[in-house]
Amino acid sequence: MSTPAPIETVCGRCESPLESGDLRCAICGQAAPESDDAAPKNVGITILRCKGCGAAISYDPKHRAPACSFCGDVVEEEYVADPMEQTEHFLPFTVSRDEASAALRTWLGSQGWFAPSDLSSSAKLAELKPLWWVAWVFDADAFVSWTADSNAGSRRSSWAPHSGQNRLQFDNILVSASRGLTYAEAAAMSGRFDLSTRQPQPSGADDAAIIEQFDVQRSQARMQVLGAIDQLAAQRVQAQFIPGTNFRNTKVSTLLQRLVTDRYALPAYVLAYRYKDQLYRVVICGQDARVVLGKSPKSPWKILAVVLMVIAILLIILAVISSL
Amino acid sequence: MTTELEEPQPEFAEIACQSCGAKLRMEEHLRSTVCPFCASPSIVNREPEPNRPRPKFVVGFVLDHEHAANQVQRWISKSHIFARSDFKRAVPELTRGVYLPAYLYSAVAQSQYSAEIGENYTEVQTYTTTDSKGRTVTRTRTVTKTEWRSLQGNHASYIADVVVTASRGITNDALQSVEPYDLRALRRYADGYIAGWTAEEPSRTADECFQLAHDESITAVGQKLASFMPGDSHRNVHYETQLSREVIDLVLLPVWSYAVRYAPDRPPLQILVNGQTGLVGGKVPVSATKVTAAVVAVLVVIGIIVLLVVASQ
Repeated sequence: MSTPAPIETVCGRCESPLESGDLRCAICGQAAPESDDAAPKNVGITILRCKGCGAAISYDPKHRAPACSFCGDVVEEEYVADPMEQTEHFLPFTVSRDEASAALRTWLGSQGWFAPSDLSSSAKLAELKPLWWVAWVFDADAFVSWTADSNAGSRRSSWAPHSGQNRLQFDNILVSASRGLTYAEAAAMSGRFDLSTRQPQPSGADDAAIIEQFDVQRSQARMQVLGAIDQLAAQRVQAQFIPGTNFRNTKVSTLLQRLVTDRYALPAYVLAYRYKDQLYRVVICGQDARVVLGKSPKSPWKILAVVLMVIAILLIILAVISSL
Repeated sequence: MTTELEEPQPEFAEIACQSCGAKLRMEEHLRSTVCPFCASPSIVNREPEPNRPRPKFVVGFVLDHEHAANQVQRWISKSHIFARSDFKRAVPELTRGVYLPAYLYSAVAQSQYSAEIGENYTEVQTYTTTDSKGRTVTRTRTVTKTEWRSLQGNHASYIADVVVTASRGITNDALQSVEPYDLRALRRYADGYIAGWTAEEPSRTADECFQLAHDESITAVGQKLASFMPGDSHRNVHYETQLSREVIDLVLLPVWSYAVRYAPDRPPLQILVNGQTGLVGGKVPVSATKVTAAVVAVLVVIGIIVLLVVASQ
């Protein structure tokens, strides 16, 4: 057999890496260079024969592949190159179980005046589970064309149109693929991880840890990442380039280059605590115990007291005004 | 360069069936054939030329003959009310299931645009009117007005997935009527996908197809720009586009082609069915009688109303 030609793994046009099995670049649509059969096929007449019975075979729409009409043998031409996404890197837990439950106590004690006074003392930890949740982390250069309405330069209408083009760079942007965490929980943790600690295997937690899997295919994953890039680009141009302070109709067209996406599993603790027979969920970042997200109960008595106070004050004011 | 569709004289090549040795006459613009004696499918791989490159991709047939025929029958019977009655009764004849040569084009599009953007605002107007008792009163109302502002700018994006015909037998408009193809099912070309089916070689020149792809890309940029404009409304969008870093690849697309003969004095109508998605495309012949009847009916109704109005005064 001839040695296969070296496979070029970067798109020639937008310089984004191609993955094995890609026929075309997912970003700009350029055909991937052919790997082994780049040399022209033999010129002449070919006839395909069944490996089973030797009869000539033809393409069958039912099998979406060439099939032998005599013995029913199906020839697989090429597998469908849209595999499920697989985790490539794991970040280790640097926060221990004990540190996580301590962080919960601290957090419960800092829930403000409306929290019940006995929250910190009588809340009971019901569950604490380490979880590796999945996310894409990408780097890209983007040339962003944008238009938007803003208040800057407005005349009669409170809006004026603006347009522009700017280069943006995205470094280590996290896009959650997790089903277990909400969007807000994932967003709050992004930027709190040290990506240089990545390892090929999970570490730093016990066997009880849940390891989430990506449950989307590669093509779907790319659409999610590209959607996130457009959203982020719109936010950034709004913050940095569009004049004015109020915006609407922010539209972006991004010309991406060098989009590199990695698939990560990121550590977090999912906790449940019980207060007065009610369970509350809390999520703590596995590499930064200061990031605690969750809900805490509010004391109905304290809220009632405040409402009554406000009504009383209003009544007093009314009484004073009417007596003047 | 002439682009008119002159029917090219079919040129024949003589090949020998690799299975039974029979001599087969095969049209030059075909890539595959089936031996009439032993039913073996042969595929002819010719030396690639600039106007006849090797296919790079293929989308395989998903819809078989029966499903395609059903789709066409349904499409004909559901055609609009002004369609000729003999057309609605016509039975489609299958011409062939064919792998159509087409070019898949992509590029970077850089555009300069100018437009007028409408920004709405509201104004409170005072007006006088007469109330129910016949007195003159002054009232106010809020009206929405539009302020037009001019906007210039640049727009850059990738244009991908532009597909244009490379076959003289099918115009680009006809191909567009059965697009889109789901290009996620694109496969690298292999002889196995066309074995036993008719596959054409490109019969349009690469230059001509490039031009078609350019035109389609410019239209695509226009659509992108229309949804790119800010404001409550916009008008007079003008743009100029440069396409760079263009790539064009030959792809074979599955098409079922039907001919419908609905009247002896009319040429048969070509109906295409997307061999992957089942989308049907074609121009429904309009019945002149039905349109005339409808116009006359409307005129008669208007006439009667006018007469009634005149008579009542």
